[in-house]
Amino acid sequence: MLLGFKRTKQEKHIEKIEEAQCKYNQIKPATNTIFNIILAFLALICIIPYLFVIIISFTDEKALTLYGYQFIPKKLSLEAYRYIFDSGTNILKSYGSTITVTVLGTIIGLLLTGTYAYALSRKTFAYRKFFTKLIAIPMLFNGGLVANYFVISKVLMLKNTIWVLILPLALNSFNIIVLRTFFNTSIPESVVESAKIDGASELRLFFQIVIPMALPGLATIGLFLTLAYWNDWFNAMLYIDDNSIIPLQYLLIKIESNMEFFINNATVMGIDGVEMALNLPKESTKMAIVVIATLPIIFAYPFFQRYFVKGLTIGAVKE
Amino acid sequence: MKVRRSKQVFALILSFVLVLSLMTGCQKSPKVNEKDTTEATKQTDMNKENDKKDDSAKKDSGKDEVVELIWYQIGDPQKDMDTVLEKVNEYTKEKIGVTLKINQIGWGDYNKKMQVLINTGDEFDLMFTCSWANDYVQNAQKGAFLALDDLLKEYGKEMYDNIDPKFWEAAKIGGITYAVPNEKEIGSMPMWVFTKEYVDKYDIPYQEIKTVEDLEPWLKVIKENEPEVVPMYLTRDFTAPTYMDKIQDPIGIEYDCDPNHLVVKNVFETEKMQSTLRTIREYFLAGYINKDAATASDDKSVKRFVTKGDGQPYAELIWGKDLGYEVVATPIMDTVVTNASARGAMTGVSRTSKHPEKAVELLNLINTDEYLRNLLNYGIEGVHYDKVDATQEEIEQTEGRPFVYNCKIQINEENRKNYSVPYWVQGGLFNTYVQEKEPLDKWAEFRDFNNKSISTPSFGFDFDTDPVSTQIAGFRGILDEFGAALYTGSVDPDDVIPKLIKKLEATGVQDVIDEMQSQIDEWQSSK
Amino acid sequence: MQGQKSRKSSFMSRLKRNRQLIMLSLPGAIWFLIFAYLPMFGVIVAFKKLKLTGGFIKSLIDSEWCGFDNFRFLFYSGDMWIVFRNTVCYNIVFIVLGIVLPILVALMLNEIRKKTLAKIYQSSMFLPYFLSWVVVSYFLYAFLNPDKGFINNLLQSMGKTEIAWYSEKKFWPFIIILVSQWKGIGYNTVVYLASICGIDKTYYEAAVIDGATKFQQIKYITIPLIKPVITILFILSVGRIFSADFGLFYQIPRNSGALFDYTNVLDTYVYRALTASGEIGMSSAAALFQSTVGFILILTANKIVSKIDSDNALF
Repeated sequence: MLLGFKRTKQEKHIEKIEEAQCKYNQIKPATNTIFNIILAFLALICIIPYLFVIIISFTDEKALTLYGYQFIPKKLSLEAYRYIFDSGTNILKSYGSTITVTVLGTIIGLLLTGTYAYALSRKTFAYRKFFTKLIAIPMLFNGGLVANYFVISKVLMLKNTIWVLILPLALNSFNIIVLRTFFNTSIPESVVESAKIDGASELRLFFQIVIPMALPGLATIGLFLTLAYWNDWFNAMLYIDDNSIIPLQYLLIKIESNMEFFINNATVMGIDGVEMALNLPKESTKMAIVVIATLPIIFAYPFFQRYFVKGLTIGAVKE
Repeated sequence: MKVRRSKQVFALILSFVLVLSLMTGCQKSPKVNEKDTTEATKQTDMNKENDKKDDSAKKDSGKDEVVELIWYQIGDPQKDMDTVLEKVNEYTKEKIGVTLKINQIGWGDYNKKMQVLINTGDEFDLMFTCSWANDYVQNAQKGAFLALDDLLKEYGKEMYDNIDPKFWEAAKIGGITYAVPNEKEIGSMPMWVFTKEYVDKYDIPYQEIKTVEDLEPWLKVIKENEPEVVPMYLTRDFTAPTYMDKIQDPIGIEYDCDPNHLVVKNVFETEKMQSTLRTIREYFLAGYINKDAATASDDKSVKRFVTKGDGQPYAELIWGKDLGYEVVATPIMDTVVTNASARGAMTGVSRTSKHPEKAVELLNLINTDEYLRNLLNYGIEGVHYDKVDATQEEIEQTEGRPFVYNCKIQINEENRKNYSVPYWVQGGLFNTYVQEKEPLDKWAEFRDFNNKSISTPSFGFDFDTDPVSTQIAGFRGILDEFGAALYTGSVDPDDVIPKLIKKLEATGVQDVIDEMQSQIDEWQSSK
Repeated sequence: MQGQKSRKSSFMSRLKRNRQLIMLSLPGAIWFLIFAYLPMFGVIVAFKKLKLTGGFIKSLIDSEWCGFDNFRFLFYSGDMWIVFRNTVCYNIVFIVLGIVLPILVALMLNEIRKKTLAKIYQSSMFLPYFLSWVVVSYFLYAFLNPDKGFINNLLQSMGKTEIAWYSEKKFWPFIIILVSQWKGIGYNTVVYLASICGIDKTYYEAAVIDGATKFQQIKYITIPLIKPVITILFILSVGRIFSADFGLFYQIPRNSGALFDYTNVLDTYVYRALTASGEIGMSSAAALFQSTVGFILILTANKIVSKIDSDNALF
């Protein structure tokens, strides 16, 4: 992950040249200002609610019940975080589980998606149509929850293992098709053909030429995979009974769905529901869990971002 | 090498010591009670051979193999579940040759998860079921449970005799028992919950207030004198007092229906509901009810005078704890028993269970054994709770009442966080200890409450929804659309009820009424 | 005989020629066979009245067929017209905005001079993506709460009449669209940003030499070059036109009945219909209906696209 923040000498050098080139092709200062204002405004309305979450997580619970949400809380408190770290749920274990699943899953997913999408992107591939159809059909038809559960738990026996959190999400048709399109647009057929004439195998071609040239696309899919793994809770809910590998996101979702359940069943559960709801985490704790469950992934984000904000200097790689 | 050898030696010595202590332990007392369980803990952690020996020594029957039972329960997983289960297993292994694995599934996920497990034929033994989660009737009709009648006679005799027959009656579907009811309050008791501060201040005879109409003068007093207080605080989950057994919301049988001639009605077409809704509307217009009632979730910072709750004996204590100040409560109507209320918590044996007889034996033990029941309920003594003696006076006062122990318990708040389970999911409540602040004869009071509750005319009738499932599917959406607004008085009932009824009719409410009527006629004639 | 043999040998040689690419796509293909095709038999649940007789397979075989009975609830209610209208209309708006807004943002991000600022803007826009709908609904409620909400307090202090936000349905199409775009903008921008970055810089250099303005560059270079990505994402989103984000339409309006005319969509309808009964035959039927309609729409969209520009079609 550190890699994301380090810039090589070569990169800096290229950047300088680029900047010099770009000088001739810049937008007018006035346009620049307008764009900045618009974007800053957008960014602000996106940041504020998240900041609010952080503030609430540090607000004293009593102050919250008395005054509601406040930007400048009447009383600060670390109670929410203390509660999370020594209460029933084992946050550290969940972190471990989530990180393992996310890292392993993203790597496996990128490899599978990349190879498949590359094959599809090759116009000379004789079975292109067949393999495209193979992934198009499941995009729309699936056996449903029960059949999926049956296959994964009874046929593959993956229940209560970490693989059940990794494998089902590793591939999906959407990612393959998007990546295929990236390959198609960013890698000129001529480059591939000339390499083929030089006698390079497809495997070498993929790793040595295609990957470096399609980095923005790969980074995008990598980001999508990372987010999908980080945010997944449904598989954990279905397949994991063992509390030690429950991912973070599920802890969060569970609190929310518990609340929802007590509200929906207030009349039928009566006082039992009230009593059980007493044990639920309080408002500030909920927000603290949101913070705990999302902060690490926010910090991982720049790692991917460098590939699609700065842009690639394809010219430097090509030919 | 060295390390490994020394470990072996250590293990050998240890097992030796343990075998010895076990044998002496056996001699001491054949029946384990809570006092020597610490010893038992050490004993049963032994290797299997000891277990077998122990078992066969105790039970001369051929059941020498220990079986593991898997039990799915609703509720959040607890950190200390494993340590408590260790204790439980020690005890159950010895008693009935069973170890237990409890999988707790979060409240909001339980329905979905059980649906998947049941439909895929997953192998497990016990599951929580009731009228509001993992629906008892539907699962029974679908074939998810084993019929228990024969097993109960053989393996559950004791609990069968202990539990109030009314519960067993409710547990029957088409004459067959599919689950063991957990004995608790049998009826539902809608109550008005008043903030004690204002009741005292204005000297309100709250116990005389029954209907919605009775509230009027006092709402007015509060409105006039306490500008900061919401006289009647309602939230989106509020349902107006209903004098009907809603067998399939909003269809059902009224409580005061002629028992010999039951008529199925739509609750919104009943006189009682309509007049109640009109009154609430008046309150809303008069400003007695908070404006955001139809979408609000309970905001504890709102000061309120009265609200509605569904209670049971001593419910004030819990409401008070929830709100952070004292409340008093009074029942809105006589407590009634419906199928839904009597099926508030039950345990079914899965059709896929390999050891149904053991499962029933276990439930029997939980429902009758003081040590095991309280261990599951409160956790480990000395860790999660401590016993405190009841005063002599208290004991004398409760003389002669059933379900009374001569001790109470004090919860260790710190450790309690790691083991706080929905105890009524596990089994009956009447053989659990009472907590320090509760009266010693709490459960006797519950039993009285249950005896006093009246069965509705429709008690015992189960509606087979199969022929009209398409029509019923549309109901919830319509109720969601109009329900909260109507119940909280946010809209004019004279305007909205006709709309609601029209929509229900478009969805085929009449088919459902007809189907239910014919089923109920059949049920009555066969009774 | 002869012909057959040569056909066979040509098949073999074709296989051999494509050996390496087949090897590359094989792991993915196996994954699809196991995780996507193997469970597909579950589709028949939608046509059965499931009764439990043994394991899943046995129950499935033993249960009786019930034709399209499980689908009936989707068309039975008087609300169906509203539900379908809402689902489709919102999705059309989402598809259009989901393409236009992120491209605009991506272009702006790409053009502003300070790249560090661009990075900061872009990261910030991603934040709402991490908040669940439930949390978003808390905040919205803090703003719109009729009694002590932020906006009503403001209106009150300005001497205007307060608005009962959760029972005035006319505002909700805007609120729903606004909230959905706000939450998705960061995520949706990424693809376009990445494809703009993937464009070879030499194109622009050439354009500058020819004296092209910024606007012309965008019109004649950027947009045409990211068109394949736009088209593909468009086709893919058309397939989901009958599905809606449950949380957006259930949590955000707080399930307020007064708003149903504008907030009831297929997913919330199915949820409300099946929470009580939980009949898996019916939920499978709903999913099958959504995917079949989606499939037909995708095929249609693909056909149209391939008529115009066969290179950009899905298949």
